[in-house]
Amino acid sequence: MVEIEYKKARIRLGNTDLVYEPAEDSFLLADAALKEAKPGMHILEIGTGSGFVSAVLLANLKEICLVATEINPHAARCAKTNAVEVIRTDLFKGLTTRCPETRFDLILFNPPYLPTSEEEKVPGWLNYAFDGGTSGRETLNRFLDEVRDYLKPGGEILVLISSITGLDAVKEKMEKIGFAVNVVARKKVSFEELMVVRGKLF
Amino acid sequence: MKKNLMDILACPICKGDLILNVVEENEEEVISGTLYCPVCKEHYPIDEGIPNLLPPDLRN
Repeated sequence: MVEIEYKKARIRLGNTDLVYEPAEDSFLLADAALKEAKPGMHILEIGTGSGFVSAVLLANLKEICLVATEINPHAARCAKTNAVEVIRTDLFKGLTTRCPETRFDLILFNPPYLPTSEEEKVPGWLNYAFDGGTSGRETLNRFLDEVRDYLKPGGEILVLISSITGLDAVKEKMEKIGFAVNVVARKKVSFEELMVVRGKLF
Repeated sequence: MKKNLMDILACPICKGDLILNVVEENEEEVISGTLYCPVCKEHYPIDEGIPNLLPPDLRN
């Protein structure tokens, strides 16, 4: 099994035909998450893939309580081998909203963001790592529609977006939900610019 | 999955509470078993320590 090292974490990767391989977007989100996460926080990562971002947090921060979700069975098993407590579900589906004490301080999401038509879909589970619907924002929008119910008052989210996703549309939607919005990290890679957008509840 | 994960899990269909049935566990966590929703009458499997809370039509 292939392993990579990043910021004190050793991460096992899955078969790259089945599990998204950590790339510039993963590294940018992990770096931003390391700056936002504090000891004692309850943290949720949606769509953890190989478990890369969560594993980096676990290796660098003591006393965080972290769980992750993942829809792809191959990726979920990979995250589990990286000692990430993973739940196989679609975004927030298998998570409760019933009691305020179990809500999260910080929620992370690196959504699939490529604008994808029917003909462009990748066969199998790996499609979930890329396919952002025709707008590129469909999964992110579903996430944003629900995320507030899983956050503590004053809680925050970090989402990875690309210049392809369109910052303005994402920012507008986040502000409507009640987030104060900032871009906390940027990186140009070949044909796009990656950004980590932070939303903090008032 | 660690047993305290039950605090945050819910049925993906009705969002109701689930009942844990352990088949195999070690000192740290539940390795296999089921999560049962008494409202939807649906069993959700736990395999290799991972609870599968996908609706039945997406499970495999």
